[in-house]
Amino acid sequence: MKVRLNVNGQPVEVEARADEMLLDVLRGELDLTSVRYTCGIGVCGACTALVDGEPISTCILLAPLAEGKEITTVEGLGGNHSVQRAFVEAEAFQCGYCTPGMILTAKSLLEENPEPTEERIRAYMGGNLCRCGCYPKIEDAVNLAASMSKAATPIKGGT
Amino acid sequence: MTDPRVTGAVRYSQDVAMEGMLHARLLRSPVAHARVVGVDASAVPEGIIVLLPEDVQDLGGYGPQVKDQEILPQERVRYAGDVVAAVAAEIADEAEEAVGLINVDYEELPAVFDEVEAASEGAILVHETTNISRNDAAYFGIRPQQETNICHLFRLRHGDVEAGFGEADAVVEETYHTAGATHVPMEPHAAVARWEWDRLEVVSGTQTPFNMRTDLAGLFSIDEERVRIISPPMGGSFGAKTFVRTEAIAACLARKAKRPVKIVLERDEMWMTLNRHPATVRVKLGARSDGTLVASETECWANTGAYADCGPGVAQKMGFAAPGPYRIANVRVDSRAVYTNLPPNGAFRGYGQMQSTWARERTMDLLADKLGMDPLELRMKNLLKDGDKYCTGETMHDVHFERLLQDAADAVAWTESRKNKGLCVMLKGMQTPSRAAIAVEIEDGGTYTVRCATTEMGQGAKMAMRMMAAELLDVGVEKVSCPDPDTDVVPYDTRTTSSRSTHMMGRALKVAVADLKENGERGYGEVVDEGGLDPDTGQGVASSHWHQGAAAAEVEVDEETGRFGVMKLHAPIYAGRVINRPAAELQNEGSMIMGLGTALFESNEFAEGQITNANLSDYNVPAMDDMPATLSHELVEREGGEVQGLGETALPPVPPAIGNALYSRGIHVTELPISAESVLDAVDTRDGRGDAWAKAGCEPVSTDGRNDSPGERVFASGTAPEPTPTPVNGSDGLSDQGRLSSVRFLFASPSALLLLGTLGIGLLAIALYRLLHRRGAAEKKALLRS
Repeated sequence: MKVRLNVNGQPVEVEARADEMLLDVLRGELDLTSVRYTCGIGVCGACTALVDGEPISTCILLAPLAEGKEITTVEGLGGNHSVQRAFVEAEAFQCGYCTPGMILTAKSLLEENPEPTEERIRAYMGGNLCRCGCYPKIEDAVNLAASMSKAATPIKGGT
Repeated sequence: MTDPRVTGAVRYSQDVAMEGMLHARLLRSPVAHARVVGVDASAVPEGIIVLLPEDVQDLGGYGPQVKDQEILPQERVRYAGDVVAAVAAEIADEAEEAVGLINVDYEELPAVFDEVEAASEGAILVHETTNISRNDAAYFGIRPQQETNICHLFRLRHGDVEAGFGEADAVVEETYHTAGATHVPMEPHAAVARWEWDRLEVVSGTQTPFNMRTDLAGLFSIDEERVRIISPPMGGSFGAKTFVRTEAIAACLARKAKRPVKIVLERDEMWMTLNRHPATVRVKLGARSDGTLVASETECWANTGAYADCGPGVAQKMGFAAPGPYRIANVRVDSRAVYTNLPPNGAFRGYGQMQSTWARERTMDLLADKLGMDPLELRMKNLLKDGDKYCTGETMHDVHFERLLQDAADAVAWTESRKNKGLCVMLKGMQTPSRAAIAVEIEDGGTYTVRCATTEMGQGAKMAMRMMAAELLDVGVEKVSCPDPDTDVVPYDTRTTSSRSTHMMGRALKVAVADLKENGERGYGEVVDEGGLDPDTGQGVASSHWHQGAAAAEVEVDEETGRFGVMKLHAPIYAGRVINRPAAELQNEGSMIMGLGTALFESNEFAEGQITNANLSDYNVPAMDDMPATLSHELVEREGGEVQGLGETALPPVPPAIGNALYSRGIHVTELPISAESVLDAVDTRDGRGDAWAKAGCEPVSTDGRNDSPGERVFASGTAPEPTPTPVNGSDGLSDQGRLSSVRFLFASPSALLLLGTLGIGLLAIALYRLLHRRGAAEKKALLRS
């Protein structure tokens, strides 16, 4: 069946089976290989994409259910997004396999909460696994991205 | 250009595609041990490639240390997960469906799963014979015990252990068990194979491209030069992606299909491919009253599963480092790799050190307790110093154990209070003998290419090579590239394992750059570390340099539920000279976090040999919200120090530090991972209740009438349990234990049980009456309404 999506700002129409997961469509049809298979049951976060701004495990989202949705993968962030820069600066990765999912989840966290506490970061990012164990530096990266965004936000008058 | 890891641009082997490529799926045995009576693939539609045992019967066996693996078993399956047939189709789903159409008849055979049972006389045999492999991974003198399941027995003999125990004032002995675990690289095993005329080409993220080349060439009886292995970056490995995994099957399917074939494993298949050795380790230590260690005896049973893989090597390293970084005059070690009907177990970060370090360092605390000594002081008194001889007979150099242990102790303010705190110190060997070779080429425009077989799995090896080369060549790091290993192009090297690459390749690189400066276009460098042990005496040179580490942990325990948390974790290791600090920090932190998983929850669970938790919901790995409040470490460097391997050192000391922190409260656990239940049981044992909870009426009896060490207690049934807690290590603040004990005492006494029973029946009767009453009222209402 045909499924219409908006992927990284581009409207696309893809052919998908009714039982096909969005992960396979993004990887197979659209060659977006930053979205990755690890657990297949929606618990590790390696297949995270932003679906209408929300971090979603695409390995358990049926592609037809994404009809008409806005989908963002790290390919769509360019490479110079503040969270990406923060991950590079904090050296918050080793093998890099989980990194795209981490970046998208961190982006979503910071949009929801621009100055998250340590507890909030650990709880929010807790759904993305990194077997290399880069957590201390990923936490640094999230804090760094928060301060970057804060510095970049124009200060409004009156305070 | 930004780092490809943040843009998702890294291409792992699972992203590799070849023109005309088919996708494979594997059919695995559901039973742990069976004779394969027949494989019927007649229902598979035409056009789908099916690989059956008869297709591969002309090919021999393979295996890095013991040649015991077949591409598809010809006669028997030896574990639940053993591959019986393989299928390749245009799309993976088609292959998956076809796998379901293959019918296999099994005649089940008795199976053995426990390593100690499997090593006992009369155990059923997993393999009838043991053929040692000619692969260079079998370099250390493998000693199979014919007509047993022991595929390697390593022995270390130093001094006279009986005499040593004879002169000891205190002797402690304990047996430990560590569960099997899984590497869980985020990227599953993925390989693509194709035949180009009579040449085999395999693209697979592997730590061992040349070992794989040897094994595949041997299988197809072709020259090694006719096999080409390319290893793209791996999405994690931790020892999983070593030696031949799915590549032989992919190559056979490709041979049959005459097209490239790709295999990407499903997550659950990872548990059926390679795991970490479950192990049983018995440790006996003897010391004089002043704390001087005089005797050490260790027995290890490393459960290597149905195929040896590198289990013999794991057992050997588990054994030779088991005595730990101490001066001990009399040492005996027997370490065995044992076949069972579990999935194969092989290399896993730490390579056997975690299992024996857990056993020894826990026992050191039992000994300190028995001697009435501070565990730090006991260790310090016996630690190896520069110039000391290890029990293998080799002289130790560049030794930093005291410094590391002190640093660990300081991090948890050891001298202020020892309650809730634990320490560990350990050593780990590097593959010895060892050889590395590397080439450096100058390109047009003043750039350089470093060619070596060192593979990238996230540890930052490529960047380390580039940085070292840039320093030696006196150019910017951007001028140096280090392409993915390709056995057609790079010089021969054993493998990227054992935390040896930066250490060994770094030295070879110096030679290569010197050669380049002399010769102009291409420089070649090679280094060889001699050594090795006599496998029957354990004497020789175990390691050309030793990885040295320590750890400290601080815990919080809820003694009513057994639930505990790790509040603080610190692991200092000796790094010699750090090349790339952030990468080294990441390796150390990653090791600690993996050690935390080992200590707290990672365990492969089996029922009749079938893995029952082969998914990331039932098998937990540490997530960010599992981090201790404080996780810190130190990379100890020395002026003029040599580059040391550091990829694994901080994993093995973490579980014992946590176990010893529990023991500071008298909570003695012997199994890993440490469950809340085992903590609760240990609290009961400490408080003299033993298994009173289950069998009311037990009393602790000291083995020698005075010793109250929790590890030494035995229980006699028929008497009332001790209601008061035993203070341990002079610890204070156990105020809630008296209350807890009295509550339990109430439960445990027969009259109290009778009282409770009566109360319970009464309550149940009231509830039943109310229920019936309400129902009656409802019926009445309904009747009224009608």
